[in-house]
Amino acid sequence: MVDTALSNAGPDARPHPRGGLQRPLAAGWAHLRGRAGTGSLVPWLYLAPTLVLLAVFTYWPLIHTAYLSLVEWNLNPGQPARFVGLDNYSRVAGSNLFQAALGNTLVYLAASIPLKVLLPIPIAVFLWSLGSKGHIYRAVLFLPTLISFVVVGVAVMWILNPIFGYAKQYAAMIGIRMPNLMADPDTAIWVIIVVSSWKVLGFNVLLYLAGLASINRDYIEAMRMDGAGDGTIFTRLIWPLLTPTLMFVLISTLIFTMQQVFTPIDLMTQGGPSNSTTNLFYMVYQYSFVTFDVGGGAAGTVMLFLLLMVMALVQLRLIDRRVQYKQ
Amino acid sequence: MQLSRSWMVIGHVVLLLLCLSVLLPMVIVLSTAFKPMNEVYSSALLPSAPTLDNFGRLFASTAFGWYAWNTTATTVLRVLGQLAIGVLAAYAFARFAFRGRDAIFALVIGAMMIPQVLTMLPIYIMMAQLNWFDTWWALIIPNLATPIAVFLLRQHIMSFPSELLDAAQMDGAGHWTTLWRVVVPNLGPALAALTIIIFIDSWNEYFWPLLVTESPQSRTIQIGLREFLQEGMNDYGALMAGIIVASLPAIAMFLFFQRRVMDTFVSSGLKG
Repeated sequence: MVDTALSNAGPDARPHPRGGLQRPLAAGWAHLRGRAGTGSLVPWLYLAPTLVLLAVFTYWPLIHTAYLSLVEWNLNPGQPARFVGLDNYSRVAGSNLFQAALGNTLVYLAASIPLKVLLPIPIAVFLWSLGSKGHIYRAVLFLPTLISFVVVGVAVMWILNPIFGYAKQYAAMIGIRMPNLMADPDTAIWVIIVVSSWKVLGFNVLLYLAGLASINRDYIEAMRMDGAGDGTIFTRLIWPLLTPTLMFVLISTLIFTMQQVFTPIDLMTQGGPSNSTTNLFYMVYQYSFVTFDVGGGAAGTVMLFLLLMVMALVQLRLIDRRVQYKQ
Repeated sequence: MQLSRSWMVIGHVVLLLLCLSVLLPMVIVLSTAFKPMNEVYSSALLPSAPTLDNFGRLFASTAFGWYAWNTTATTVLRVLGQLAIGVLAAYAFARFAFRGRDAIFALVIGAMMIPQVLTMLPIYIMMAQLNWFDTWWALIIPNLATPIAVFLLRQHIMSFPSELLDAAQMDGAGHWTTLWRVVVPNLGPALAALTIIIFIDSWNEYFWPLLVTESPQSRTIQIGLREFLQEGMNDYGALMAGIIVASLPAIAMFLFFQRRVMDTFVSSGLKG
């Protein structure tokens, strides 16, 4: 099974622990094989594609963005970038768009706690109690995770279409005049919130089911024998044991929500009507690629980055605790 | 665990309603896609005479065929590249001890926390400078490194019995041979699961193709659908047909590998 052409060098080809580049080239590439020592170049060859790509397309752009946040530029290569210091930050922070985006971001986040984080818990507990019989429910609820948000968005726009959508026609049958939800600044954001919650529901249910799977069902039988009801079992046993999963779902959902709603915002409202649905992510896009205000977009990006880093640090701490808990 | 009777009833009712909220829109989309043109705006749930006309118009009178080709080709190329590059890095992290390994690993995993929105401006400028704007290159190259692939594959390689890999190397096989002859064949299930999620992720991608694609030579299905919607395409029958084509691969994979797809999504934390 081992390639003979490569293995004929035999055990002699084992590299010196400090082999690497010092070995004469006459030894060929043999020193690149076998168990490499600490100073070897070999692991770096395996890592090179990943590290180069991440450096060029993830880490360098972060630094470059920090620079762009200090200049005034409109993406036109013929136009030189003008250094303006921290002006972009004060300009963005003072803008109506930023204030609307920040406020809406808080609405998106606050609404996602009951809808995306808490609602899946009773559903998961119920499915867990069903055992394998609940599989069909699980499969159907998971479907929206797989479908792109463009597909979901187009379908929602079609169903809610103010002139001939299904929602309007069915509402008319029971005598209700369907309002144009997407055109009203008070309701458009809720359409996006409900649809994005619907889309992630099945996924979060699965996360809770994974957490519930670690609960020993014997405890429940024991509590039953002692006369405990459903309520007691939930508050005294399931809830405490589910808390680590809950914390994980909470933070990951909050971080995810900010990005998740980008697609429906862009597709269904483009931030409107009158900035009522835009969030910080979409605002950065609006600055950069709708008005081509590179400095403003970059300044918004840096502020968003700081916010996300804080959330990610909290998440990392929680994951550490979760792992320890599992062990 | 047995819930009391009343909770069972409530639970089933709620779940049936939720499942209905998933299935009803799908039925509406499906039926609209197969309705003849004069029925598209009627509220009937089923077409009187199902037809493929909508699909025909979709491919004949829009650039959707090109969009489907671009999405399929770039997704396949990208996924193959992602897997190969991910396997290499995962093997290095799992099988070598070298200075700075843990710090480098943290940098790779840390990249997962950085959403594309934060890096888009410089990459966009880079694409323009390289003349990659509106080409497949822009869709493929910036997305080839996949921290989640490195993370999952490294875990699997580390869980191999070390006798297996040591025996191969005792036989004189170098790392390169061990990797492709011993490690990769044993990674089958992990690679399959990973392929499913990164395929769906790439197929459904919205943000980046929105920025760098412009013409039928590079535009993807998702952005094509957006274009139809925002340019006020009034042919909703064709639009619904487009939705179905866009969803087919993910749904098909789900039907075939249901359990595995769900398990992998959960363990990777990718929410689609």
